[in-house]
Amino acid sequence: MNAGAQLLVVEDERNVGETLAERLRDAGFRVTLAGSAARARLAWQAQPPQLSVLDVGLPDGNGFDLARELRAAVPQAAIIFLTAHANPEERVRGLELGADDYVSKPFHFRELLLRIQNCLKRAQDLAELPREMRGVVRIGRARVDFERFSAEVAGKQHALTHKECAVLRLLAGRVGKAVSRDEILDKAWSADEFPTSRTVDNFIVRLRRLVEPDLDEPRVIRSIRGVGYLLTEAAHE
Amino acid sequence: MNLKVGQGSLSVVPARRARLIALLASLWIMLVLVLGAGWVVLVINQARQISELQELTGSTDSAVAAQWTSTRRRIVGESAVFLLLLLAVSALLAWLYWRESRRARAMQAFFAAVTHELRTPLTSMRLQAEAIAEGDQRVELARRLLEDSSRLESQIDKTLELARIEGGGPLAEQSVPLRGWLDRTLAGVAAAHGERLEFRVHLDDSLPPILADAAAVQMILRNLVENSVRHARLEPVQVRLTARAAGDKVLLEYHDNGAGTAVPGHELGRMFGRGEGSAGTGIGLYLVRALMQRMGGEANFFSAPGEGFRAELQFTPSRDEGAP
Repeated sequence: MNAGAQLLVVEDERNVGETLAERLRDAGFRVTLAGSAARARLAWQAQPPQLSVLDVGLPDGNGFDLARELRAAVPQAAIIFLTAHANPEERVRGLELGADDYVSKPFHFRELLLRIQNCLKRAQDLAELPREMRGVVRIGRARVDFERFSAEVAGKQHALTHKECAVLRLLAGRVGKAVSRDEILDKAWSADEFPTSRTVDNFIVRLRRLVEPDLDEPRVIRSIRGVGYLLTEAAHE
Repeated sequence: MNLKVGQGSLSVVPARRARLIALLASLWIMLVLVLGAGWVVLVINQARQISELQELTGSTDSAVAAQWTSTRRRIVGESAVFLLLLLAVSALLAWLYWRESRRARAMQAFFAAVTHELRTPLTSMRLQAEAIAEGDQRVELARRLLEDSSRLESQIDKTLELARIEGGGPLAEQSVPLRGWLDRTLAGVAAAHGERLEFRVHLDDSLPPILADAAAVQMILRNLVENSVRHARLEPVQVRLTARAAGDKVLLEYHDNGAGTAVPGHELGRMFGRGEGSAGTGIGLYLVRALMQRMGGEANFFSAPGEGFRAELQFTPSRDEGAP
């Protein structure tokens, strides 16, 4: 599964980085290893990755800022954060930045491998767009390009994370029908990410900032009490 | 100090305790203000009553008038002293609280850094071990395992030494002849870093032995080398060590060819002080300074971007010629 996918491993600890890269190559991936944020930028310019494993603590910056840059430069790349600081605040921050997963050190290689494969599978699913969602889709005040993981709002481009895209696509696929929180969780998150209904609500808040003309009275993504959310409009341009 | 450990994060002053302290501080400030205001009103009243009594008694005797004035001044003076004391104690308490909060934050950062320093080699060791368990027989994996276990050992040693030194633990000072001893020690230190490290050592012929704890000097050298390897940003790191008699001291100079840092020398070696980036726990250079001071010596650090890192270690010469 996903054999030959291009990965970028950004890890400043030499032994961890080299062993991880070797083991991922043995598992069939093409791997570029970068020991710093600066080298990572050069690496993704030379060879855009399908997935990046990013260490949060780097000698010349932090993984969160780098993830933001990578998201803007290669929107389709999935991101998994690696960190030795496993506090919940950091995890939440990482996931809110659009990380597809978050792995604490020390980890089992097989577990990381499984998460990489899951992320790549979800990214692949996202890449397979139904015909009505190709090109630009207008949702509220946003012009969304699912293929480029971007949304244009009032002339300004916004990079969408994989999860934002997944949630929005799910809603856009059923305009006028309610989608439950459980279904959203099931389709956009994996069970090992420990998501909650609250996680979905946070993503909806972020999506509303893009699509709603009036945040105080949301009418594009409506809450259906006790069920989930409903998208009222989506038009192919 | 209470430590609360939860899901990898540390909170030295839990939120509930911090709220309680803030509440008590607010009550104390209110009490001081009310007491101060009440006291000022009381003193003004007493001073006025004394003046009125003085007028009522109609005394023209200068001795009696002087006594009234003296009493009034004593009351005002005592009140002023009381108020100043109250304010001074309040300021002292506020300063102690601020200092404790700062220390707590530094401790929190320190424990987070130690956690990072322990988890990182553990991650690497687990990766190597899993690869070996799955049949990978490369010698390189064993080399990395050894390197990571050394790093783990060093971190544990430093943390324990910090606890021992801060707890007033004793040092075993004796006469240490640097010639010979230094070569053996450096060979051990260099072995942990392989080809990433090169030493050049120059010792004066007339070098007297130093009065020191050999284990402490070993830790000092190990910490300096680890600091160089971690921050040099080049390979191999070249370290030049020179030792000579300087007045009534023995001066050991350590100089690496690394990237250097813009952090002023006097700030390097502060407890839990950490340089740019996230590497390190901030106790390596602190221990160097603390151990040197405990041995009656001194450690000074110098660095600038592009000029590497330099440490000057001043030891007390020993009159004995014994060898450890």
